[in-house]
Amino acid sequence: MSATSTMLPEYVILGTLLIAMLGIMVSRAHSTLPSWIGLLGTIGGLWATADLWSRHLKPVLLFNQSLSVDNYSLFVDFLVMIAAGSTILLGWQGEREHDEFPVLVLLSALGMMTLGMSANLITLFLGVEILSLPLYILAASHRDPLGGEAGLKYFLLGAFSSGILLFGLALIYGATGSMTFTDFAAAVSSNSPILAAGLMLALVGILFKLAIVPFHMWVPDVYEGSPDAVTSFMAFGTKVGAAVILLRFLAYGFYLSPDAWGPLLGYLALLTMIVGNLVALTQTNLKRLFGYSGIGHAGFLLIGVAVHTVVGARAMLFYLLPYGLAVIGAFAIITMISNGEKNVTIHDLEGLAHKKPWAAALFIVFMLSFAGIPLTGGFIGKFYLLQAALFAHQPGLAVGLVVGTFLGLGAYLRPLQAMFRRESNEQALAGWNVNWAQIVVLVVAVVGTIGLGVYPTPVVHMVNQSANFFWLH
Amino acid sequence: MVLVWLLAIPLIGGFVVLFSGDRAAKGVAVGFGLIEIIAFVVLLAHGPANINVPWIPEWGVRFHLGADGLSLFLIGLTAVMTVMALFASSKTYRRSYFFWILFLEFGMAGVFESLDLMLFYVFWEVILIPIFFLLTGYSGSRGRPAAMKWLIMNLVGSLFMLIGIVAVAVLHTQPFGALTFEIGQLTHVPMSAAVAPWVFASFFLAFAIKAPLWPFHGWMPDAYSDAPAPVTSLLAGVMSKAGIYGFLRIMLPIFMPQMRQYQTGLLIFAAIGLLYGAFMALRQKDMKMASAYASLSHMGMMALGVFSLTEAGILGATFLMVAHGLIIGGLFVVLGFAEERTKTREIGAMGGLNDDAPRLAAYFLFFALAALGLPGLPGFVGEYLIIQGLVAHDVVFAVIAGIVLIVAAWYMIRLFQGVMQSVRKGPRILDLTAMQVGYIGTLALLVLLLGVWPAGITSHAAPTLYHAVHLLATKGGASS
Repeated sequence: MSATSTMLPEYVILGTLLIAMLGIMVSRAHSTLPSWIGLLGTIGGLWATADLWSRHLKPVLLFNQSLSVDNYSLFVDFLVMIAAGSTILLGWQGEREHDEFPVLVLLSALGMMTLGMSANLITLFLGVEILSLPLYILAASHRDPLGGEAGLKYFLLGAFSSGILLFGLALIYGATGSMTFTDFAAAVSSNSPILAAGLMLALVGILFKLAIVPFHMWVPDVYEGSPDAVTSFMAFGTKVGAAVILLRFLAYGFYLSPDAWGPLLGYLALLTMIVGNLVALTQTNLKRLFGYSGIGHAGFLLIGVAVHTVVGARAMLFYLLPYGLAVIGAFAIITMISNGEKNVTIHDLEGLAHKKPWAAALFIVFMLSFAGIPLTGGFIGKFYLLQAALFAHQPGLAVGLVVGTFLGLGAYLRPLQAMFRRESNEQALAGWNVNWAQIVVLVVAVVGTIGLGVYPTPVVHMVNQSANFFWLH
Repeated sequence: MVLVWLLAIPLIGGFVVLFSGDRAAKGVAVGFGLIEIIAFVVLLAHGPANINVPWIPEWGVRFHLGADGLSLFLIGLTAVMTVMALFASSKTYRRSYFFWILFLEFGMAGVFESLDLMLFYVFWEVILIPIFFLLTGYSGSRGRPAAMKWLIMNLVGSLFMLIGIVAVAVLHTQPFGALTFEIGQLTHVPMSAAVAPWVFASFFLAFAIKAPLWPFHGWMPDAYSDAPAPVTSLLAGVMSKAGIYGFLRIMLPIFMPQMRQYQTGLLIFAAIGLLYGAFMALRQKDMKMASAYASLSHMGMMALGVFSLTEAGILGATFLMVAHGLIIGGLFVVLGFAEERTKTREIGAMGGLNDDAPRLAAYFLFFALAALGLPGLPGFVGEYLIIQGLVAHDVVFAVIAGIVLIVAAWYMIRLFQGVMQSVRKGPRILDLTAMQVGYIGTLALLVLLLGVWPAGITSHAAPTLYHAVHLLATKGGASS
């Protein structure tokens, strides 16, 4: 198999990106041409991924063992395509004034795909940076003070964390003499303090991207200030990228010394689940609410990594999908309400159930999926994570998951109850606006969410093939 | 296949209701409710049924439905009471109300049919959602906080039960290898002394909150009194049985050694609930509250029957579940008629309704007498069997149960006197319409039938329960 054919999804995205840039040059300002190109590109990328998946290829290492194309990376490609495609659709109108929007989204998606394939330190860092740089720009693309604050905050903190990550990676290289993850195992037993320090710093860098408490402080402000579509991309795509690289990095590089990081991640997971969901309870701005609840969900994801079993890896990988679908669905509703103009608060939802019952019904589905109620994908994801925690004899993590879920539910109920309030305020839903792109996202999200809840078997099967880390138990 | 139809009919009906107009909603919903009853009759004619196909094979989760002596009549109870609730609902409710009622029926039928723990849990949680929205959107001033309380208390229970479910399955893999959630296969799970109490507690809490049993009934008073009468009749009549059913279906087979170990404690706990409910019912001023606490007391009675761990007690609890479902459900529907006519729930503000509405008074009296356990009516049969079981185990609890029967007569008669007899305080009211007599009369006939022919249920239920009690003898060591 040549490098070209196994990396077809990445090349498709890269090609689309370049064509979309050319498209910007030839088309008028405010044209939808770049968005169309981007959308077709993500569909092409999905198709290429599905094609590769269906061929049941053996894992291949490319470019001097720096990229590993396997079922794991293909599954990540699926997730990233969904995230990127839905982001482009959600930004169809709101971000139309910025022609470069789809290009930047695709570039960031390329970074996420790189992270999914990454097998050595260089591609890890490259992936993180390709993911982040376009997002810094996108975060600030609303030309208002909040947007500026979001962009600057994200950029400064992100650059700082990248520095820490890079320093950590350098220390690891210094201690082991190798860039490749799989070579670290031999050096790990030597128990070097430099390696331990490098590992800690690298973890901090990655956990920052995943928004794990206590490295989560950037999330609420950045989510609030960024345009809605960009926020949904951060909530879904960035989490996918950061979670999959964390798993690959630890499962390939440090599987022999789980005691050095497993308990630490376990405690961080507990802290994150509780704090994220607890603070979400007090939010009234919907984007901040999803920001904090996203932190809580990152804590759930971390359980899968912390238990260090193959079930955990699969559970984490699975959980990304229902979480992401609920995110894009919920943000589709938010963009309908905000119309790209304002920051949606809980009060803007008042009367939604009476004025727009269908939108309200869909919003209920997404909230219930976040909360992990059965017949939605979120429940199956939580169920898988519980299995992971209990198979690893970690009842503490299981209880943390349940308590976090419970707190999260309280946060999701408040918007739901607001929707049913009769005495709706006059300004609510004033800017209501629906276009076909949002409806496409909604349909994908709701079919996926309920489909995963009712018949998750195909995805469970896919995940089992993806996270096939046979060296874990 | 009819088992699947029993789930599919309310679900399809719910969506048809959503797509029909607000005006047609009630008629369509009642139609689907009646079809569900026909499906149940087909099931009854065919006898025990079973469906078992893989759902998530990687985890050993199976779509395993079954109807045996224990669940058959609870499925019927669900079908009957849903139709009653639909008939009794106001036509002015929007279609989403009827959607949620049918969705609730879907969830409850699923709970009673599931034989796979994971599937059971799915339906168990599905129940929460329609009730939450019915309380939020369609009840009185305290409906919103009641909805929150309902959801939060029940979720605490059920989320911990989820840990328990996965824990049981994981423990099962240690000697047996494959992951499975089938209740029938989990009966031999070995549990160490360190783990067992926690897993036991996680299940117990969920079932005790749902029933509700004292002291986990915090959500009950507001929810029962402020929900619309049809919803209350479903809550008290059917949904609450899911908790007791959980004890019978899941805890007896899986946790028999623990049940034996904690038996005295469990009995004391149920007896306190029995007394507490009865005395609280005595001093309520609100007629729905009084009935709510009466129901709490009855749940304690059923729990006593289950925890007696004797054949008679368990059989009595099984029978009383169905009987009580019909009786208390009917009582709440009748209370709904009275509330609709007088616009109040205060016993003090009513009185003398039987002058204007003799038919209403007659049905009120009938269901009140049934609820207090008059011989000849089914409540008596169930309570008799439970007391028989308690005598076999420990006569003290039988005495307590007997005392509560006297109190039950007191609070029910007080309720009847306060509302129907004495001096009229409000304006004149209308009697029941022919339609209302039609459905409430049918329900009364059903109750009467059950009272004079309890063997219709017990002969079906006994074989299933002999199996459970057999397990009791083999797993629990000493037999009773």
